[in-house]
Amino acid sequence: MAPHDDSLIMTDVREGEVEKLAILFERHHLPLYNFFLRLTGNGAASEDLVQDVFVRILKYRSTYQAQSPFAVWMYQIARNAHIDFLRKRRDKDTVPLDDQWAEAAGHEPQPGEALETQRDRALIRKALDSLPENKREILFLSRFQNLKYRDIAKLQGCSEGAVKTIVHRALKDLGRAYAALQEGVTS
Amino acid sequence: MNCRNIQERLVDYLTGDDDPVARNEIQEHVGSCAACREELETMTLAWTKLGVLPEQKPGPALRTRFYTMLETYKGRMDEEAAGTERRGRVRLADRFAAWWPKTPAPQMALSALLLAAGVMAGILLKPGPGRSVAIARLEAEVRDMRQQVSLSLLDRASPSDRLSGLSAASQVRDPNPRTLEALFKALDEDSNTNVRLAAVDALYLFRDDARVREGLVGSLTRQTSPLVQVALINLLADIKETRAAEALKSLIADRELRPEVRQKAEWGLRKLI
Repeated sequence: MAPHDDSLIMTDVREGEVEKLAILFERHHLPLYNFFLRLTGNGAASEDLVQDVFVRILKYRSTYQAQSPFAVWMYQIARNAHIDFLRKRRDKDTVPLDDQWAEAAGHEPQPGEALETQRDRALIRKALDSLPENKREILFLSRFQNLKYRDIAKLQGCSEGAVKTIVHRALKDLGRAYAALQEGVTS
Repeated sequence: MNCRNIQERLVDYLTGDDDPVARNEIQEHVGSCAACREELETMTLAWTKLGVLPEQKPGPALRTRFYTMLETYKGRMDEEAAGTERRGRVRLADRFAAWWPKTPAPQMALSALLLAAGVMAGILLKPGPGRSVAIARLEAEVRDMRQQVSLSLLDRASPSDRLSGLSAASQVRDPNPRTLEALFKALDEDSNTNVRLAAVDALYLFRDDARVREGLVGSLTRQTSPLVQVALINLLADIKETRAAEALKSLIADRELRPEVRQKAEWGLRKLI
């Protein structure tokens, strides 16, 4: 769906036609859920975060500016929601990401899934856990959320060059961490 | 081009955001530079392995929670508007109270339906360029959702929920076979007379459908409640369904038939022949 179309709909929501938020929810809740799921490794927390994002969209709808792509604005809100989530979690017990993955529902190996895929998945999750939060977030926005570097730069409040540098380093670190883990498994 | 320049462009190379000239330059460079080649291989490994993380679906509760939240928000907006503009008049919520389901699950289902209808109305009332495809898609989604809501409510234990289901079915323009089947099931088998009567009303709306007309004739022979029998006779006479004449004759021939029903059946027969 064209981003322009999303912006038109969000403009209508801003002007009081709040029921149209349903269209944006139907279009975006799945990628948004997976964004949070990859960051938190926790299905229930990710559902809470998606709900939180849409509550915030309604709450702050008057601040939406039509010239800004809706997805950029939404992921800006998602980012803030995630920061608040991390803050709350920090106040409680800290659980390493790979442990959360282990606990999370819906991540059990699928029947018939190749052992190699299961192992790859476990390794990449463990490798992701070694990246700092900010790098992981930018990497996911780039890899899975179909956002351009200039859009990620906008929502991060930095230059496009800085985003590319972070993605570059994140990929390099992730690739190395994965290779090291793989070596540990096979040796 | 030196290694630093190349490395700055590896991300674009990986994501395909560069041009063919730049790609050639990078390929040439990594062909002869072991350090940059290793860097690109490491990054490619990470980029590729990220692809094994599957896309997952959230539970159905997420959608329900969203629509409930949106409906509550919209309700508050409406109340605020009503408070300022129509002070002293009957509140919308009070008028809805009579037919609104009394338990949470159907409330949510009906909320989703109303919301979808609202979205459709909003879009249709404000057409713009480039929206026709989206409108057609949303129309189809709303039609489908309406029928699903109706089926879900008709299957519930509470008669008031089933009445809401019939009300939702009445909004369907082109019912699918499952919806019609559920309506006839309500008409023939529901334990509650009010539900069966409401099913007669709902089916009346689809009287142009040959399957419905045939089904109504068949149902007349199965009904035992005098109220439903009278409602069906009224309906069949109204739509001038001549195939009902035989069913009416059988009914009149039944010695145990209540006098008021017999009278109505004789009236119906006169209208049809």
